[in-house]
Amino acid sequence: MGLITEKLPLYLDPVPGSSWFLGKLDEVINWSRANSLWPLTFGTSCCAIEVMMAAGASRHDVARFGAEVARPSPRQADLLVVAGTIVKRMAPRLRTLYEQMAEPRYVIATGSCVISGGPFIYHSYSTLRGLDGVVPVDVYVPGCPPRPEAYFYGILTLQKLIKEGETVRRPGERRKPVLAALPAGMTVDQIQEEMRSLLVTEKNSGDRRNG
Amino acid sequence: MVSTLEDRVRPPAAAGGPLSTQEFFINMGPQHPSTHGVLRLVLKLDGETVREVIPVLGYIHRGIEKIGEHQTYRQFVHLSDRLDYLSALMNNWAVSLTVEKAAKIELNDRIQVIRTIMAELQRIQSHQLWWGVLGMDLGAFTPFLYGFRDREVLTDVFEETMGARLTMNYIQPGGLMQDIHPNFVERVKSFLKYFKPKLAEYEELLGGNVILQERLRKVGRLEAKTAVSMGATGPVLRASGVAHDLRKKEPYGVYSKVAFDVPVGTMGDCWDRYWVRIEEMRQSMRIVEQLIDNIPAGKHLLVKPAIVIKVPQGLYYGQVETARGILGIFVVADGTGYPYRIHLRTPNFNNLWSITAIAPGLRVADLVAILSSLDIVVPDIDR
Repeated sequence: MGLITEKLPLYLDPVPGSSWFLGKLDEVINWSRANSLWPLTFGTSCCAIEVMMAAGASRHDVARFGAEVARPSPRQADLLVVAGTIVKRMAPRLRTLYEQMAEPRYVIATGSCVISGGPFIYHSYSTLRGLDGVVPVDVYVPGCPPRPEAYFYGILTLQKLIKEGETVRRPGERRKPVLAALPAGMTVDQIQEEMRSLLVTEKNSGDRRNG
Repeated sequence: MVSTLEDRVRPPAAAGGPLSTQEFFINMGPQHPSTHGVLRLVLKLDGETVREVIPVLGYIHRGIEKIGEHQTYRQFVHLSDRLDYLSALMNNWAVSLTVEKAAKIELNDRIQVIRTIMAELQRIQSHQLWWGVLGMDLGAFTPFLYGFRDREVLTDVFEETMGARLTMNYIQPGGLMQDIHPNFVERVKSFLKYFKPKLAEYEELLGGNVILQERLRKVGRLEAKTAVSMGATGPVLRASGVAHDLRKKEPYGVYSKVAFDVPVGTMGDCWDRYWVRIEEMRQSMRIVEQLIDNIPAGKHLLVKPAIVIKVPQGLYYGQVETARGILGIFVVADGTGYPYRIHLRTPNFNNLWSITAIAPGLRVADLVAILSSLDIVVPDIDR
């Protein structure tokens, strides 16, 4: 596989018509990557029940999307589903697990805790406010905990990302197609500013009885 | 004597000689499929034999007790969901019970009966998941699928009334979030009809299996005396032969009005813990059957939703029997709408520590069976 994705484009580039061939090769490789995701069994709290267990069990059956082969070892997995709160003590371990996974690797963050801190966003001295400071996240699935159906939507979104994301010409470089649009008249900066102002007011509120 | 981790990790002095074996340390977790989360066990091994188990905690410590000091009593209910998420309703009840006792809120029969029914249904649901996961931990994937098949039926019943599948946030101080759904009684009845033959199937499928029995019988014996001194509660304590069940000893809800038995083990091995939980499911169904036909009429919430409940100054303690043991809530109140301090006495913390008494002398594979039969939930240990 490494030979195809790393060396082949170098040899083929001077040959006429190679771009068509490499384009087709991209489609085949990305199609197979998208449909055989092997998640790492990594559940820290409540989300693990819904996202790892209920989604993999009889009714919801994640095998329909080709992502049911849960591996306990990071070396055999290519999808890290972070299900549950990450606290400061766990963050270095999570980073280690992520670094042990082989490329190409993908991360789905499920649940409010790993998106923003969730129910523990205020007054908790140990919870991480969002996972993206530790590992790069591809898809966020909100909910507390998200339903298995929401997780499936996350997997389908990730598959879409994989199919359009990477080419053999520039391995490791991931393009992110636009999957969802913001409401009209709203920018990312505005949302971030709003969140920041909330955090500032919380910090300055002082006595807990006033806040 | 207080010993630190460094003391214990020091190699033994008497090593050497031609046939001597070497003791070594190995980490089980925090990323391990059979520790049910992010529990780390430091194992002192001699070959395949476990000499000592040192649980190391804190990988999911979220500071719930500290957050509780900044929230009103009503707001704290939703955090109790996230402690032991498999018995979320019973955790809600523990908080509500303590606050009601402190603020002297009298409840009507309808609230008490619905709470009891919900708690027992949740106990069944929790044990269904435990049964499936026990099978999966011991190498059989089928029980996992069977357990979840039946769990989803019950999850639907909960979802119809409460709007959530896992973290329900339903029981609150002064009553219930919503009244029960009109279909609730009908669906619970059909669930009981559905699940009774399935429970017999559980026993046939997994309980009657020779391999499972060999792996559970006489493995991980917990003596009654040790269990009590370790503070173990719930099915772990009852499997050791101590018939301590809060539902009998200090009845809350309407447990004093219903007939049920407390299953008690004899040896305290993994098989007893297995059997006690299976029998508890049967008893829970018996309780629900007695209550479901005559839910009294009345209001479902006695305190207005917008009011901040004020608790008079003092120390308060309330406890309930969750699916894993006694959950105690200790509140130091200073007369305002916020608790001054909240302490949680969680069942899994003590149940986990009994592993330090059970495990020495056993094999590593037995450790997985023991962890599974203790049925630990790690966020409940770490809070």
